[in-house]
Amino acid sequence: MTYDASVRKDSDGHAVASGPRPFWGRVANWGPYRAFAVFLTASPRRQFFILAAFPILWLLTQHLGPMLQMLRVSLIDAYPVAPGTPQEFTLDNYMRFFGDSIFWMPFFRTLTFAAVFTFCTLIITYPVAYFLARHVSRKNQMLFLLLLLIPFWVGEIVRTYAIMILLGNTGAVNLVLKWFGLIDRPIPFMYTSFSMGVGIVYLTALYMLLPLYSALEKLPQSMNEAAADLGAGAWTRFRRISLPLTIEGISSGCTLVFLISTGFYATPVLLGGPSTTVFAETIAGFFHVAGDEWPTGAAFAVIMFAAALVITGVFQKLMYMLRKGDTR
Amino acid sequence: MTKLLMNRRRFIGTTALAGAAVASPAYLRRAAAQGSGEVNIWTYNDFVPEAFKEQFEAETGIKVNVRLVDDQGKQFNLLAAEQPNPTVDIMTVAGHRFLQFIDSELLAPLDTSRLSNWGNINPTFSESDWATINGEKWGAPILSGMEVLSYNTELVSEEEALTWDTLFSEKYKGQTAYIIQDMMSIVMLKLGYDGNMVAYMDDPEKAAAIVEEAKQFLIDHKPLVRKYYESGAEFQQMMVNQDIALGHSWNGPAAALINDGFPLAMTIPREGSYGFVYTYNIANNAPNVDNAYTFLDAILASPEIGASMTKASGFISTYKDASNYLTDLEKKSTSFPEEQLANLQFFRAEANEMKYSLVDPAVEAVKAA
Amino acid sequence: MNNRVELNRGNRIFLACIYWAFVLYVFVPLILMIIMGFKDSKFIGFPIRSWTLDWYKGVFSDAEVLYTFGYSVAIAILSTLISVIVGTWIAVLLEGRKFWGRAVTFALMVLPALVPGIISAIAFRIYARWLGIEPGMGAIVWAHAVHNVPFVCLVVMARLSTLPKSQIEAARDLGADPLIAFMRITLPYLVPAILGSSIFCLLLSFDDFVRSFFLGGYEPTLPVLIFAMLRSGMSPEINAIATVALVLTAAVGIWAERFTRRTNKESQA
Repeated sequence: MTYDASVRKDSDGHAVASGPRPFWGRVANWGPYRAFAVFLTASPRRQFFILAAFPILWLLTQHLGPMLQMLRVSLIDAYPVAPGTPQEFTLDNYMRFFGDSIFWMPFFRTLTFAAVFTFCTLIITYPVAYFLARHVSRKNQMLFLLLLLIPFWVGEIVRTYAIMILLGNTGAVNLVLKWFGLIDRPIPFMYTSFSMGVGIVYLTALYMLLPLYSALEKLPQSMNEAAADLGAGAWTRFRRISLPLTIEGISSGCTLVFLISTGFYATPVLLGGPSTTVFAETIAGFFHVAGDEWPTGAAFAVIMFAAALVITGVFQKLMYMLRKGDTR
Repeated sequence: MTKLLMNRRRFIGTTALAGAAVASPAYLRRAAAQGSGEVNIWTYNDFVPEAFKEQFEAETGIKVNVRLVDDQGKQFNLLAAEQPNPTVDIMTVAGHRFLQFIDSELLAPLDTSRLSNWGNINPTFSESDWATINGEKWGAPILSGMEVLSYNTELVSEEEALTWDTLFSEKYKGQTAYIIQDMMSIVMLKLGYDGNMVAYMDDPEKAAAIVEEAKQFLIDHKPLVRKYYESGAEFQQMMVNQDIALGHSWNGPAAALINDGFPLAMTIPREGSYGFVYTYNIANNAPNVDNAYTFLDAILASPEIGASMTKASGFISTYKDASNYLTDLEKKSTSFPEEQLANLQFFRAEANEMKYSLVDPAVEAVKAA
Repeated sequence: MNNRVELNRGNRIFLACIYWAFVLYVFVPLILMIIMGFKDSKFIGFPIRSWTLDWYKGVFSDAEVLYTFGYSVAIAILSTLISVIVGTWIAVLLEGRKFWGRAVTFALMVLPALVPGIISAIAFRIYARWLGIEPGMGAIVWAHAVHNVPFVCLVVMARLSTLPKSQIEAARDLGADPLIAFMRITLPYLVPAILGSSIFCLLLSFDDFVRSFFLGGYEPTLPVLIFAMLRSGMSPEINAIATVALVLTAAVGIWAERFTRRTNKESQA
């Protein structure tokens, strides 16, 4: 039943773009459709049930299923299970994290980095999105946006290596500085938090840009005009109008970027220095360097997951309160 | 998409068949008798020479499916997830990682009597101490690598490169890099201990003290290092970008730089170093065991094949006389003076469980320090 | 279209500068990547002593690379279609509705995005085996689709939260049932969010290495091929492949933009 509905939605969705108006009238009056619609919407309860059935099923089987597997692995003493040996459930894998302080450093570092880089990404992309949405004519907006999206079609690894030849000792930046006579020996940009930041913001900018842009783009112009008429300066208008009205976009962009940054592996490994180890690296270590310590790796992943979830939860709550406070 | 897929399959199938029909009817009959004409291989880029693969497919009618991998751990994880019915027949394991695979029952012992070309392998590799475990052979050695000290010849003198101490000297502060796991073994060797830890199997306390000492050494010298790297490509990029002047590396990535004309050289320092061997192994419960043996025997057939693997990867061939097929530059990038080779020993697996239970946390501690 | 606010000039120029600085930041590495594809050496980096076209020629004569590219694109498109349908559906369920277990549903929805790549890849692999899904294209599409659902969902929810309730109510007052109201009002309003998140999904899928590696068979996707090649060094060949892939996808993107613009104009007329 639910599946039927999805097919219908999809085919009708296409009709929206091209079909002439009477189409919907015809659909609405078509006998079988009416019967179908009446069946669907007989009661609010049934309506909700039909809407909810498929997503719940999907979430349970597709989202939760693999994670339950992982949770199970995190609780057993050995995996892959050697044939003929009974597996035992244990909490030792979790205790290993809490029992040894060497794991705390990368853990907190990851959360701090993710937060800092999310903030940097926001600061850098907000003006860009603002410019796009407010100062570029609507005709060209898509084109300008597309221009920014093009580089993101290149894979993470290739882009990361491009950053290496940008920032290396004989990299483009050092060559240019030297050519202008500003330096005589190269500045070691690479393998520091700086190079890592450059690489990560490069990867996350897009995920911030799109939600910000779509939030700014639908901001009613009239409000800004009215405020300008009342003599509000640019900064005040931004602070009192644009910012509160785009808080939804900021919050979803930040959530997205934060989540993605906690999981970054290749870029921090390639661009970071000896003292910038992130937790994903620690976790991955249990899966390939050490080889057969899947349960510990899985347990650490669960810990990371729980922490990120709590932080985004708190963040969303804060944003929600901020929004409420503003409308009051 | 499906169509494209079909077309490609059919294309490969047809060429292989056509080639086989012309080349050798006898082989074809044998391959057909073995059922599905396929062999599935997990290996690194360039470890199966393209020319060899084409010839093998044409002569035997067995289709070679190569799945490219990029490290040992991924093969282990993938195979563990696939057991007990793996899709793979042959995989590429480094000799000192055997035990881990064997303990998890992922590998089948190798029946060398089925390989008429087994004798083409240099006995240094085929009969070495690490190669026999539980009285069985587990893999056919194909390429050998070693941990070396590589240096930019325009910035570092050969004399300086003859000792690991240079890697930890104030003079090259911020211009060095190493793989930290590998460096733990080397530092133990440098401090005068057995980096394989086989000698301390009965004395876990001593072992722990040694690892602690090596760990402390690396922590003390952490301010001097530019980067703890992981892959050979990173090392090459750091050299090219002149982010580093010298570093520990495997010989393969360094050889590739030398062959490209980069002013690089490598040594096996006097404190000693470790070597390892890549082997082709047959997976436990492999679906096409017979084809796997046919493939292994064919790839061991000629030193020329060994030489082409060396050319592509930069690692040293395990085949007798393979160097006859290398250019002078290639020879230079894959050989060492006798007195340096005397410093080399192979990684061994016997004490791995104890060793890595100590070394892995130590590595984490060095990174966190 | 002409109702733009008369902002003071200084602000505008300042914003424009930031925009173009950002363009520079985003494009310089890209240009370096393209240039390096012409370097006559096995390694990228400065100085470049001589140039060659061989790497680019190699890409076009290498059937495997071209095939792999097509394979990755097909996976990206299929998985995006699934993610967009499922993600939008879940967003409609979650946004602006209060029901028992909403918070749990939300947490479940974001779950796949939170789990580090390697963990999720292995979890998918074990789960796929449990479900009896063979490794290969189907498995990769499935994993990418599941992984990308949260991104669609978050973006669509953000957009949905700003849908004026009055519009739906008006439609309902005029006798439209919820399904028609959704098709006529909600869905068109969501189009920008859906398009935007499709781009996300395509990128995430096209760029994904770990999941593709663990769930793939003997056909590599583009990132898997590049990872394998990287083992023998970051060669200009990889840059050439990436550049060709970029040019092709950018061409398709620009064509799509033109196309939507044209259809928009037609529907407005």
